[in-house]
Amino acid sequence: MNLALTYPWVLALIPLALLPLTFAIQRRQGYPSLAGVEPDGLSRAVDIGLHLLGALAILSLLAAIGGLHLKGQTVERVGEGSHVVLLLDRSSSMDETFAGKQATETEASKSSVARELMREFINRRDHDRFGVAAFSTMAMPVLPITSHKDAVLGAVDAITRPGLAYTNVGQGLALALSMHEADPTAASRAILLVSDGAAVIDRRVQERLREQIAKRPVNLYWLYLRTAGAPGIFDPPREGVPDTPQAMPERHLNLFFQSLKVPYRAFEAENPEAIADAIEEIDKLERNPIRYQERIPEIDLSDLAYGIAAGTLLLLLLAKLAEVRLETGGALTRSKAGSTVAAARQATDNETKRLKEAA
Amino acid sequence: MIDPRRPEDDAPPPDLPYQLAWRSSEVRAGAHRGKREGAGGFFRDVAPLLRSPDPRRLDLRVSARDPFEGLHVRRFEQKATVTVYALVDVSASMGFRGASDKMRLAADLCAALASAVRRAGDAFGLIGCDAEVQKELTFLATRARGSEVEMLRRLRNFTPRGAGTGGMVDAAALVGGGRKVIFLISDFYMPRPEIEAIFGALARHDIIPIVLSDTAELERLPRWGLLSLTDLEVGRRRLVVMRPRLWEAWQRRSGRRRADLKSIAGRYGRTPFVVEDRIDWERLSGYLAGGVA
Repeated sequence: MNLALTYPWVLALIPLALLPLTFAIQRRQGYPSLAGVEPDGLSRAVDIGLHLLGALAILSLLAAIGGLHLKGQTVERVGEGSHVVLLLDRSSSMDETFAGKQATETEASKSSVARELMREFINRRDHDRFGVAAFSTMAMPVLPITSHKDAVLGAVDAITRPGLAYTNVGQGLALALSMHEADPTAASRAILLVSDGAAVIDRRVQERLREQIAKRPVNLYWLYLRTAGAPGIFDPPREGVPDTPQAMPERHLNLFFQSLKVPYRAFEAENPEAIADAIEEIDKLERNPIRYQERIPEIDLSDLAYGIAAGTLLLLLLAKLAEVRLETGGALTRSKAGSTVAAARQATDNETKRLKEAA
Repeated sequence: MIDPRRPEDDAPPPDLPYQLAWRSSEVRAGAHRGKREGAGGFFRDVAPLLRSPDPRRLDLRVSARDPFEGLHVRRFEQKATVTVYALVDVSASMGFRGASDKMRLAADLCAALASAVRRAGDAFGLIGCDAEVQKELTFLATRARGSEVEMLRRLRNFTPRGAGTGGMVDAAALVGGGRKVIFLISDFYMPRPEIEAIFGALARHDIIPIVLSDTAELERLPRWGLLSLTDLEVGRRRLVVMRPRLWEAWQRRSGRRRADLKSIAGRYGRTPFVVEDRIDWERLSGYLAGGVA
């Protein structure tokens, strides 16, 4: 419970709640002796109940006026998941189909297939936090690591926008790693690289990446969307083709990743089903305990307090209406001292008169 | 202040014939049977002339019958006066005003008593008490005419505010020895031991308990509803959820209380006279004359 008041000064009025405990709502009526009153448990209970109801009515009114609410808060929980940076290739080739053609009504582009499957992935992983980065000629930070799912989904949706020219994997990776560095929490970390091609990573950039990864180890997943006819990640070099990064960038990127000494999986996907399988696989692998924050929104309790106040006041009103008075008949009430004196004087006069008559 | 429930024929009679089942030991000649012999009144007995040397009352028949030829005289009872006290409970509970005003009922009763006592030539005193004897309401018995005017004026002006009835016991000391007639005027809302203590303290006197009760405090209580009552003496408040069952229990309780009072009063000679809302003078006269209510 985390109760709070919008206007805490109403607390100063709390002593008012003691008033109903000392005063009764009924009009006082004199009775010769309470010893003559039949003792009754129900009456006693009702009496105490009405006093408490009065106090409760005042308290709940004060709470309602003060704007009682349950404070919104973040609760740290432990679940399964990790912090994932989605590193998306925004090169123009992603807008083509797996067959290397323009996307049509029937055949979706690689980017839109990847988007759909990633959306599913994001939705399935409740406790993960995602960051989104994209790269083509340059790396583009899209969204820092966050737990706001909607923002992540929006960022992922954006990858279907027409892409740009080149594929600068090195800079993209550097950005993804720096996003992880900016996130101070201790959690299992992963980078999901989605691309349909590779490029040569400069040797100096390679060194920097090694340093960054050594500083903060991450799980690395490469989802390679292979276009028909494009060279595979695992293909050995063919005869006559020199085994250099320039000639076979995919193979050498894979070799570079393997040399990073971090958990690494590469998935080669040639069709939407293969992507789905790969993502399923990643989903299974990334099951580490994670501490995550759950936000609990503020709950306004003043309506409830007004309701309670209305209920108690209604009960008190009913009790007031049920009040009866002793039947006074035709009796006169000697309410004023003056009339008492006058009556006494008249009585005395009568007395004297009678005495005279008697004499 | 005109009481609509008190027409002229309801006015107190000039005389309340209080007859006593005992003989007064007072010396002064009065209207009641006395213990002393003297002129007039009832024939008591015949005594030898030597013992009662009043040759005017020679009883020839008895003297002639005496084989020893002694002379006998008749002796007669001397009618005597009595002293009448009204012990009025003036505790706060007497300030209850329901169908009637108990203090006014008490004052009316005392007024009628005082006038009747005057006519009989007896002495009348008034003592008002709550937890103790009220100084301003203490009038020792006197025959002085007109003295009751002051008594009644003070009684009518008195605002009951004290608690308890312990003063009644103290008043017994003021009343003093010698058998007297004591009108005990109260609502008798007191615990049984207290009633017994009062009757015990006044045991040597002829106690005439007059209970002032009000229908509004019992018979005419509402049967349903919330009733907030404040004890007039102690000031404690109590809420009562009235319902027919509780109403009946309440009546039974008051019935028990009255039966208690009746049994205690009966032990001391008289059953109590209950005044409800108004004084039924006719019934009161009958009660005083016959000794039973």
